[in-house]
Amino acid sequence: MNKSIKNKPITMIAMALLIFLGSCDQKKEEASNTFKVPVEYYKLKNGLKVALSQDKTAPTVAVAVYYNIGFRIEPKNRTGFAHLFEHMMFQGSQNLGKMEFIKLVQQNGGILNGSTRFDFTNYFEVMPAHKLETAIWAEADRMKGLAITQENLTNQQGVVKNEVKVNVLNQPYGGFPWLDMPQYANENWHNAHNFYGDLKDLDSAKLEDVDNFFNTFYAPNNASLAIVGDFEIAEAKQWVEKYFGEIPASQLPPKPDISEPRQEKEKRFTKEDKLANKPAIAFAYKMPERNSPEYFAMGLIDQMLVQGEDSKLYLALVQGKGYTGGISGGINYLGNMFNYSGPMIWMADLIYDANVSPDSILFEVNKAVGDIQKNVTQEDIDLAVVKMRSKLYDDLGGFFGIGRADMLASFALFDDDPSRLNTLEDEFKKVTPELIKKTATEYLRATNRTILIIDPKAEVK
Amino acid sequence: MKNALKITIGFLLCLTFVYQSEAQKQTPPAGGTPKDFKLPEKKVSQLPNGLRSTLVQYGAVPKAEVQLIIKTGNIHESANEVWLADLTGLLMKEGTTTKTFKEISKKVAGMGGNINVSTGMDNVTISGSVLSEFVPELVRVIADLVMNPALPAKEVDRLKADLKRQLTVEKSGPQSQATERFFQIVYKDHPYGRYYPTAEMIDSYTAEKAKNFFEKNFGAKRSVIYVVGKFDEVEVNKAINDSFTSWKAGAEIDFPAATPTRTNEIAMIDRKDAPQTTVILGLPTLTPKDKDYMALQVTNSLLGGSFGSRITSNIREDKGYTYSPYSTIQNRKGVSLWYEEADVTSEHTGESLREISKEIKKLQTENPSKEELEGIQRYMAGTFVLQNSNPGGIISQLNFIDLHELDESYLTDRVKNIYAVTPEKVSQITKDHFKYEDMTLVLVGDKKQLDQQIKMHKDAQKLK
Repeated sequence: MNKSIKNKPITMIAMALLIFLGSCDQKKEEASNTFKVPVEYYKLKNGLKVALSQDKTAPTVAVAVYYNIGFRIEPKNRTGFAHLFEHMMFQGSQNLGKMEFIKLVQQNGGILNGSTRFDFTNYFEVMPAHKLETAIWAEADRMKGLAITQENLTNQQGVVKNEVKVNVLNQPYGGFPWLDMPQYANENWHNAHNFYGDLKDLDSAKLEDVDNFFNTFYAPNNASLAIVGDFEIAEAKQWVEKYFGEIPASQLPPKPDISEPRQEKEKRFTKEDKLANKPAIAFAYKMPERNSPEYFAMGLIDQMLVQGEDSKLYLALVQGKGYTGGISGGINYLGNMFNYSGPMIWMADLIYDANVSPDSILFEVNKAVGDIQKNVTQEDIDLAVVKMRSKLYDDLGGFFGIGRADMLASFALFDDDPSRLNTLEDEFKKVTPELIKKTATEYLRATNRTILIIDPKAEVK
Repeated sequence: MKNALKITIGFLLCLTFVYQSEAQKQTPPAGGTPKDFKLPEKKVSQLPNGLRSTLVQYGAVPKAEVQLIIKTGNIHESANEVWLADLTGLLMKEGTTTKTFKEISKKVAGMGGNINVSTGMDNVTISGSVLSEFVPELVRVIADLVMNPALPAKEVDRLKADLKRQLTVEKSGPQSQATERFFQIVYKDHPYGRYYPTAEMIDSYTAEKAKNFFEKNFGAKRSVIYVVGKFDEVEVNKAINDSFTSWKAGAEIDFPAATPTRTNEIAMIDRKDAPQTTVILGLPTLTPKDKDYMALQVTNSLLGGSFGSRITSNIREDKGYTYSPYSTIQNRKGVSLWYEEADVTSEHTGESLREISKEIKKLQTENPSKEELEGIQRYMAGTFVLQNSNPGGIISQLNFIDLHELDESYLTDRVKNIYAVTPEKVSQITKDHFKYEDMTLVLVGDKKQLDQQIKMHKDAQKLK
């Protein structure tokens, strides 16, 4: 039923895989051990973190700028502002007026987009390789300063309100569970508010909010730049210095406390959906701290539980009981297990029929979880590592370099170490059956779980 | 917090000062000279039973994508069999005569991949993407699936329940409702016009019916296997020969001809209190075999098919009526449609349509500037490189020319042909093929609003 005709203009063309460097004579396990991605990492005097990675597979280059400002830490009376601001970054800078940035990229044969996530806002373009200098100049230009008019702001308030309508308000299961669950599972406002924003808050945004936000967060010492593709390192470094080098650093405000308390009790919520006609359920568990041994164990547990048609939940809920035709799940629905920095949930969700009770679904979930808490073998881990490795290759090679740029920029921003992407596979291989059991026992506790059920209120025609 | 605010305001003033002193705007650096781009080389062969194979070594990631594409799908369903092809596809995944579902899914997971069976209008695709060392084995698994599927009767009720659930959920979305109606109006009782079954139809399907559909429509003559990525060519060829040689030739390729209807019919579907109207506006257009198809594609990109296009600039970036407008050319076998789709604020439905009609009329009467056209041409040439820079994209291009029986030059001369389109041609194409007054309009929205809003569309239709 791949008949969907959705195809948004700024999204990328073919979301498939692979652009990579490295040896191609792979002999099973050995291949993965020698498989590395080149990473050149340094900082400019103003604090901008720069990560470069060559890949000459295709004559293209991906340029990505990540700002360390996500919706978690947006102002409390301005929900949705981080995302609205993302739109403003396309509305005009000192040297490029409205639509000129977009046209500069497209008319040079490139594609572009931006997005707002938990802990960063990113902007990226994929250009023909010989247009790298143009792209670096343009990203530097909008880091220097914006030139937003009231008219542009009003226009984008309209666009963003329409974005919320098309994705949430006029859509069955709109916002479920990606936008909803953080609001139910989390306690700290930073993790638990409506990231898309209340329409009222969006309406009340003013030009001075735009200026303040830009001046507070959009500075080189709060950003990373990743370049991936067919380019020369020395030349790229020269351009980065030339265009970004003179942008002044800013004084960053202290980071708010975004921590979540340990959850001690299962939470269960029901949300009415007047557009949906079948019930749906999502269940979420709070994750171990990022980069801890348990975190890597959760990466493999995710593979065992819900990734692929050999996974425990797929076999139980889809193939076995037939409660649903498919189940989605993972760590960080707004990205992946690598590109965030803060509290996170592991979650899964499915749509089912009204004659099935949510508790019979949860019974199967508990059984699968219990199996992981007790019966994981080294063989299970090996299988999960192969799946993870294959997925990592897709992330590192896919989206015309954007997948690799995403990891480089995130690891630069959050860990000050983009070359970490070459050590991930080893981290997963260190996981033992004992660590899996320990992790599953602590983090897949029912008392660490939040359940959200959609109560469908639309008529079935 | 107040302190932080002062600091940022001070910083802002400083910035303003620095940049105002540079009176003139900088011009973006032009960049270097374009690097060579060649389409990746392919190796084509054919087995005596008619199965063709296309192998492309691409990239350096130690993975490859395998797709067996069969020229069948919903196109071969009769009027009371809608989604029978989908049920057949789902059943094919449920194991073979020698292996269970669980054995197959575990085996393929161990290769670092999944097996997908995807049922489309004109194609059924059985595919997987696995680590390089397992590519020959994946070819064998796919062969087993398509040659020896068990099509087990005991799984049919569960899969039918899945399809019915999916049907109900999809039909609750405004975009699906609009799409179904649009294709119904244009393609009428041809399979292309039958987007959704009824629940009763699904109830009537049996393992026997799926088996018949499978026997009638699957076979080597209708199929091409694509392998793209890094893989051992000798081993993969051997796997193809060993495992597919005994596949039955099956039926010839056969697509029942479709004739799209050109009608300026207006269809409204009530969605009570909806904050937006889902709009689909379009008409039959030139097919990829037509000599003017490239000019049509360029015109589409300039008019509504790219972010910088005229319609998107107008109703999104100027007026703020919508978030995700786009126009596209949808190709089925032998027939094509152009349409614009957008979810617009309910109270601006009429104005959105008026603005779309204005953009069309303007392009009909005034040639675009050379500069604007060249920008679009560079965008299309650039995205063509991207489309051919990943295994899935490469397969999709090759399958496109195969399905539509196009010459190789469709791909090899594409960049040259993009740049050959002139401003006059774009205007002429708009005049000939984008007649607003001939377009079918589907609206899914709040009827109270639509009755008012539709007036502007009717006025726009009258403008010549």
